[in-house]
Amino acid sequence: MSNTSTPPAVALGGLRKHYGDVAAVDGIDLEIRPGEVVALLGPNGAGKSTAIDMILGLTTPDAGSVAVFGRSPAEAVREGAIGAMLQNGTLLDDLTVAETVRLVASLHRKPIPVERALRRAGCEDLAARRANRLSGGQAQRVRFAIALVSDPALLVLDEPTAAMDPATRRDFWKAMYEDTAGGRTVLFATHYLEEAEEYADRVVLMNGGRIAADGTVAEVRAVAGGRTIRAAVPGADAAALLALPAVTACELRDGRARIATADSDATLRALLAAHPGARDIEIAAAGLESAFLSLISD
Amino acid sequence: MNPTYTRLEIVRMLRNPRFLIFAFFFPVLLFLLQANVFVTGSGPEKASAVAVIMVNMIAFGAVFAAMNNGARLAVERAAGWQRQLRLTPLSGRGYMFGKGLTGMLLALPVVVAIPLLAVIAEGVRLDGGEWTRIILGIWVGAVPFVLLGLLIGQLVTPDTLQPVNMGVSLAMGFLGGLWIPVDAMPGWLQTVSPFLPSYWLTQIGRGAVTTDLTRSLGLSVAVLAAWAIVLGALVVWRYRKDSARA
Repeated sequence: MSNTSTPPAVALGGLRKHYGDVAAVDGIDLEIRPGEVVALLGPNGAGKSTAIDMILGLTTPDAGSVAVFGRSPAEAVREGAIGAMLQNGTLLDDLTVAETVRLVASLHRKPIPVERALRRAGCEDLAARRANRLSGGQAQRVRFAIALVSDPALLVLDEPTAAMDPATRRDFWKAMYEDTAGGRTVLFATHYLEEAEEYADRVVLMNGGRIAADGTVAEVRAVAGGRTIRAAVPGADAAALLALPAVTACELRDGRARIATADSDATLRALLAAHPGARDIEIAAAGLESAFLSLISD
Repeated sequence: MNPTYTRLEIVRMLRNPRFLIFAFFFPVLLFLLQANVFVTGSGPEKASAVAVIMVNMIAFGAVFAAMNNGARLAVERAAGWQRQLRLTPLSGRGYMFGKGLTGMLLALPVVVAIPLLAVIAEGVRLDGGEWTRIILGIWVGAVPFVLLGLLIGQLVTPDTLQPVNMGVSLAMGFLGGLWIPVDAMPGWLQTVSPFLPSYWLTQIGRGAVTTDLTRSLGLSVAVLAAWAIVLGALVVWRYRKDSARA
């Protein structure tokens, strides 16, 4: 439907990259629609950074295709359509923060004013400071301002909060969240599960160079852990409960049932239809963490 | 090149104390020292000896500015700044061209300051054509050294930068006759010296101040142009190799 009118923000097809014998990215297909905020989740060595480098055109794939807004990464970069915070990037010690952002702005065709980029990234108070006088968290915010200054339609953040303490991390995401209210597409790599849960519309889980799961936070949870329904179900029998839709396991003790389900909505509806007397119902998410662990242990 | 980018590149260099010391104050002071301590005699005789030293120190300053400029490439590459710039419309070619241009601009202050001091403080008098040959000639002649700096910057890491730059600078300065004028060289060094481009850089200016031990301007220009072509080709080759590895 939207494929015909607007090209996807990012489209990867059969993407592969090997380093020697190691398949860093081992055939991934991914489509990100404009305006989506996507978390790329995975353990170290999952291939997140390599995938991101290929989206940015910093690394050439061995096989497969990359398109950013229907164009090659190089073209998208030339047009200022991509802004990125790379991992381990440093700033220039001999320029102030404002000068550094101005330098990058001067290279782009349609930059936003430097002051606005600094404000959006929450670092206008650091404008006159040299990069070697910044804390890790402050430096990251400056790099966020650099990523924003071209007013990119796609923002790519490779583990942006790795060097931040929890409070700084929260501030950073707040700034990011406010910034993306305008419909910017965001792809961020992280290994903080709560960041993916809280800030992403969609989670793409990578492991061993492949995509292990892809969907909303709720969907990814369901793929692996699903949810647990606990309820007092008078007169129930275990076999009947197990036969309810989406149920993967069931335990029954003293009239209290513990039901594991891949789709708690469907299970609950069926449960209530069959057992109108069910009460004290609790539904617990399995948590992205257990989903994550079960997926990457395969 | 856009003016903001070029201006900020120059600002960065001027804020760098190493650059100011090695590529500006050091050659200037060495010139004053040599002109006042080692040159004896007086009047026109002294002025012409000072002029020879002046040519050497201008060339020395230009070579050091060029090498310092290139060294920063290695630092930026290691720090991930080049990757950051690759996410802007600035092409790799544009980046290298910009660095080359900065190298040339940074060689300019010392190339102008030493002749000024020579005129004001040391009484060196030359005609317009001779000054043009010395100032413009040595400045343009710095092109192969800027390219050499860029090549080294692309090849080394920040850890190996220091010894490599030191070695190259010593070779250029000592063997190539920037520090010891060709007149004072032992015989063997006079044989070795022409293999280094810095020898030819001093020769560009030398012919304007003396007729002793000089080579023709045409030959000097041709040798430096050949160095520029070879080094330029190596820079391009290395740059392509770097991009292909990505």
